[in-house]
Amino acid sequence: MANSTSKTVYDIFQSMEYGAYSPSTAATARAWLERHSYSLGFFMDGKFVCPVDRQTHTVTDSTGGTVCSVICAKDEDISSCGSSASAGFKTWSELSGHRRAKVLLRLASTLQRYTQCVSELCDLCQSPCSLPALIRLTQYYAGWAQLQDTLMPEWIPRGVVAVVVSDDCSFHSIWLKVLPALAMGNAVIMVPGVKLAPPTLLLAQLFMETALPAGVLSVVTGDTSVGARVAKNNQISYLTYSGSQQDGEVLAKQTAGWGLTISLCLSVSAECPFIIFESADIDSAVDGVIEAAFKKKKDWQWVLCVQESVLDSVVSRLKLRITGLKCVPLGSESDRTLVDVAVQDALQQGATLIQSCSPPASGALYPPTVLCGLAPPSSAAVSPPPGPLLPLLSFRSAAEGVALGNRTPHGQAASIWTEDLNLALETAKSLCVGSVWVNSHSVMDPSLPQCGRRDSGNCTDGGKEGLYQFLRPSPSPALPRSTPTSLDYAAFGTTASGFMVPEGFDPSSVTCSCSQYVGGKLCKADSGCSRTVQAPGGAVLAHCPDGGRKDVRNAVEAALKVQPGWLRKSPAARALSLYSLSDHLEKRRREMAASIQAQTGLSMEEADKEVELSISRLSDWAARCDKQSGGMPPLPQTGSALSAPEALGVVGVVLPDAKPLLSLVSLLGAAVSMGNAVILVPSEKYPLPAIDFIQVLQASDIPAGVVSVITGRRNQLTQALANHSEIQAIWYWGSLEGCQFLQHTCSSPLKRLWLHCEEVEGNDGGKYWSHSSPSLQEEMWREAVVWKSVWIPTA
Amino acid sequence: MTIGDRNLDRPWVSKVRVNTQAVLKRAQQVQGCKVAKKQWQAAWLLKAVTCIDLTTLSGDDTPSNVHRLCMKAVQPVRHDLLKSMDMHDKGITTAAVCVYPSRVADAVKSLKAANSSIPVASVATGFPAGQTPLKTRLEEVRMAVEDGAMEIDIVINRTLALTGQWAALYDEVRQFREACGHAHMKTILAVGELGTFTNVYKASLVSMMAGSDFIKTSTGKESVNATYPVAIVMVRAIRDYYLRTGQKVGFKPAGGIRTAQEAVVWLALMKEELGNEWLSPHLFRLGASSLLADIERQIYHYVTGRYAAYHELPMA
Repeated sequence: MANSTSKTVYDIFQSMEYGAYSPSTAATARAWLERHSYSLGFFMDGKFVCPVDRQTHTVTDSTGGTVCSVICAKDEDISSCGSSASAGFKTWSELSGHRRAKVLLRLASTLQRYTQCVSELCDLCQSPCSLPALIRLTQYYAGWAQLQDTLMPEWIPRGVVAVVVSDDCSFHSIWLKVLPALAMGNAVIMVPGVKLAPPTLLLAQLFMETALPAGVLSVVTGDTSVGARVAKNNQISYLTYSGSQQDGEVLAKQTAGWGLTISLCLSVSAECPFIIFESADIDSAVDGVIEAAFKKKKDWQWVLCVQESVLDSVVSRLKLRITGLKCVPLGSESDRTLVDVAVQDALQQGATLIQSCSPPASGALYPPTVLCGLAPPSSAAVSPPPGPLLPLLSFRSAAEGVALGNRTPHGQAASIWTEDLNLALETAKSLCVGSVWVNSHSVMDPSLPQCGRRDSGNCTDGGKEGLYQFLRPSPSPALPRSTPTSLDYAAFGTTASGFMVPEGFDPSSVTCSCSQYVGGKLCKADSGCSRTVQAPGGAVLAHCPDGGRKDVRNAVEAALKVQPGWLRKSPAARALSLYSLSDHLEKRRREMAASIQAQTGLSMEEADKEVELSISRLSDWAARCDKQSGGMPPLPQTGSALSAPEALGVVGVVLPDAKPLLSLVSLLGAAVSMGNAVILVPSEKYPLPAIDFIQVLQASDIPAGVVSVITGRRNQLTQALANHSEIQAIWYWGSLEGCQFLQHTCSSPLKRLWLHCEEVEGNDGGKYWSHSSPSLQEEMWREAVVWKSVWIPTA
Repeated sequence: MTIGDRNLDRPWVSKVRVNTQAVLKRAQQVQGCKVAKKQWQAAWLLKAVTCIDLTTLSGDDTPSNVHRLCMKAVQPVRHDLLKSMDMHDKGITTAAVCVYPSRVADAVKSLKAANSSIPVASVATGFPAGQTPLKTRLEEVRMAVEDGAMEIDIVINRTLALTGQWAALYDEVRQFREACGHAHMKTILAVGELGTFTNVYKASLVSMMAGSDFIKTSTGKESVNATYPVAIVMVRAIRDYYLRTGQKVGFKPAGGIRTAQEAVVWLALMKEELGNEWLSPHLFRLGASSLLADIERQIYHYVTGRYAAYHELPMA
């Protein structure tokens, strides 16, 4: 600073520098910290609690100076927090939506009053946050609290929700989960990363000014283990995580088997394509790149993809624009090593660099750098390094551009630049990401859902869609809390077939040998083995194939071939196919009822009732094909926004024992009507109705491969489904161990799980399936889709 | 200095694409660029002074107010103020004086008498509407040059631009270029009347291809004057032209620029989009009449720490 103050007017007149702004002193934030003696505790039961003898962590500012310290929770802290939260939940959930909305609106105005303090503290802790955006988020979800009773009458809050956020996440993303959770009547326990802890604690305190009942909002701090330890507290009924992939995966594995529904949003470090087509306004696109890619705290890892015909003009503009940029501070000294290695690697692979200046010899600083001439296999393009490095890839045609954008395991967001509206909309549709920004980037609004694909997450945040993770239909049971068993994940579902020649063979009944249904063909199991289907009395009804991983593989291959075409069909055509399925079920009504009766031992009358309900359920789904749609959320900026449900792809369904036909058609209908392909695993105990249903499927005009039915042992097939990465979601009814196995295995690669433990749920006699509540069907179709938001700004 | 002439490159012009909202957003960003206080502000403001085309374009212009204007151009900031910043001997004058063709002779005379080499610029070609016959518009240019104008600000024919007759526009501007001879030619696009950003970009390209030394936003007589978004479009065209031909064309915003704060934003815009090289009177001009007074007041404040009364600074 010393030499810059001595600069004369003439020096500056010649160099025309902007001059450095002295950093803010953050006086108000520091005053708040001083009140807490620079040592922050937990926030629970409406007040700060600062127990002694806890391990402490230090929060540092950008210069490495100490801001304050936070303490690490012990199990006793977590359990007292859990009980106060659960008491808070009782009071809070009983309040009307209107009362809850009032509290949130008061928070919005409180935030307005303390804007300076909050943003100073965020900056101090190196997690900058836009306060106006936060205030808008608060107001937006206050609105949903107000409307909850009217618009979502059959949905109830989940209970105590844990929101776990890793250090590298933005402050905003905590509240993107906390505010809808509160709005819907849940109590929330926040577990922020160390850096995010001080501003989170401040906001929790500000919440107390809004007359939020004590216990509804708590903050527990500590290292990365705290999240998993909070999850084990049995007061919690739902855990949602936002942050880095690594920590998320660990958390998911640690919480497997605790009977806790968890969802992950792994947007941090997600690789996002920034695609510039030849029809783009190149200058604006380059401005966008410069703005997005070289921030100190990047929300996403951008990878620049440029159409070959405009590559030169993009590169020449990048060169011009990058020259004025200063070096960007890195997170740490170790990041510098990573950056150096990545640049060396790229150079060795023949990349050329565009840099604003040569990098300083050492230190946590690096100039903005574009790595040109990379190809998709280059390590910098596979896993982009931290810091201001931007890999650049080129492509020939628009289709290749989309392929390049879809090449990674991530699916968070994409920015596409073209003045051609058709190309923009087609590309937006084909990209496998949750958010698409046309001629813009990083636009976030509370009304736009953010829903990662693939490894970028399995939950939907934001918008109305983001509310449902914090709600459940009132007739639907919650996953019961349990403790994990010591499960050998590698051995699960791999025991050899226990096939035995049945003793006491009854010569009077000749049992038939059934087939399974894979890719539209009847076939035996790949292994050639089969198992007996027995009536409740023990009589052998049939022999069904004992399917395994090869059969699942074949079914997935068939599904992948046919699903895109099924999705492209008009919704009305899908509706007709489902109506035909319902008609054919009606034609075989007696046979199906007889099959249910033989398999389950129900009376013929009851079996017939189940068939009747199944026919009507299929018609429901047929009717919904062209009714379930997204919308155009109104945004504060001008332009058009779309939020649309999209099919998941291939869904694996492990069916329950209860109501074997009705449950099958309900889940099949939900998945297939939304454009998915589905692989059904019938109940191990009662497979016969599903096997007989194959004939209905064959007769209908559902395209071959959209629905496959694989019979066999549940654990074997669950294991096979879990280990096929093309399967995007698994809906599971089964044992606690199965749930535990799936939670553990499907954390990487990530799948969407919808888990049910039959051991506990099973005793309601299948009422869940015959229930006519609209919220149940809504829950099913919401499970069957992912959301895509497209933002097309206009002037 | 005459820029080498080019032929009209039609495919280049027809491929132009401008995304309006992205340009607006960029303009917002540029306005957020902050220059530090104290000597930084003073230095930037003095830079702005050296880029001003000090202008009077009124029906009631007479030799006496043109003379006053010229004297102000020679000594734009009070000598004692410059001296206290050690800038009195750094040749701080405005870039040019800009008048109507009929006043060119007066201005040249005044500046000569003051021993100043500040060039005199003249608007021409049926300013501001350009709706006079081509023959008289060309004649106007020639007469202004004969009277001693070193710089000619021509206005383009908006009719041709709006109807997409780019070849005809190119030909007209080429003829003006020839009529200017050795004088610099600044081409006024009258952006307020071109309809879309894409048209502004295309008109910029065509004007540059036809040999303009500067492109200028407006006459100051349209309802919409120099705005930051339109400037972004024009400087991008300049950048595009530079990248393709290696030739540097200047930019002159004009109309409605009144405050020192705005002048700093204009400089920041040039620095951001084109780099430091465009921060000199060779490649950047500010067309303004009342701007200088505000800048002088700000400099007075920097030097003395007080706000000046109007009578403390010499009138123009």
